[in-house]
Amino acid sequence: MPSTSFKDELLAETRNLRAFAISLSGSVSLADDLVQESLLRAWSNSEKFQPGTSLRAWLFTILRNIYYSNYRKRSREVQDSDGVYARRLTVPGDQESHLDLEDFRNALTKLPAEQREVLTLIGASGLSYEEAAVVCQVGIGTIKSRLSRARAKLVELLQLDDAPQPPVERKVRRAG
Amino acid sequence: MLIMNAARVSKFEKPGPRPDLPAESGAEAVQAIGRALAAHYADLVQAPLPDKFMELLARLEDDKSALKVQGKRDALD
Repeated sequence: MPSTSFKDELLAETRNLRAFAISLSGSVSLADDLVQESLLRAWSNSEKFQPGTSLRAWLFTILRNIYYSNYRKRSREVQDSDGVYARRLTVPGDQESHLDLEDFRNALTKLPAEQREVLTLIGASGLSYEEAAVVCQVGIGTIKSRLSRARAKLVELLQLDDAPQPPVERKVRRAG
Repeated sequence: MLIMNAARVSKFEKPGPRPDLPAESGAEAVQAIGRALAAHYADLVQAPLPDKFMELLARLEDDKSALKVQGKRDALD
């Protein structure tokens, strides 16, 4: 039977779980359904969680399984992330060039799902390679190669390679 | 917080030698991507959380307490 502290631990991970769900599905409303179902499943299977291991990785695994089993068809049909991304689409400008967040988000949606997922898990959610491998149910080598391909693809999409006149230069925007 | 996060992506420097970075090709680009990813994800993590998740967990915990009380009653009967 779950303890009070288990409830608190779940609550503490809910924001990260939801962020992962939004990244995975591309939809806030779908992400909320996924989080709700994952919390319910985690609660009723709390005895299967091994103390000392990452609760975050365990919850991500549950959510990902639910998503790929039941929801993937619905994913990315409706991009309703506006409420979440309502702020800070540009970064403060000066005379330097900037990596525009909106451009970055657009590029992120163009990555294959498996690469975006690994990039998110390792680069943003703070999971280790080992934990990401468990969540995605692949080997560590696959995780590393997906991460590397994700980065290379973003470099290409955002034209961050060392071109003589990097196109990001044209994207300089001024704050305010 | 908003400004702090913005600062994370505000420094995509122009290509050029950076003695403090590894000499490998694309290190700057990878770092810029890392900063943008962190700022992007911070937006998601900091987005207002619907109350329904807290309510759900509270309800589950209440149900558990109710079951415990019921269990004690059953044991006394």
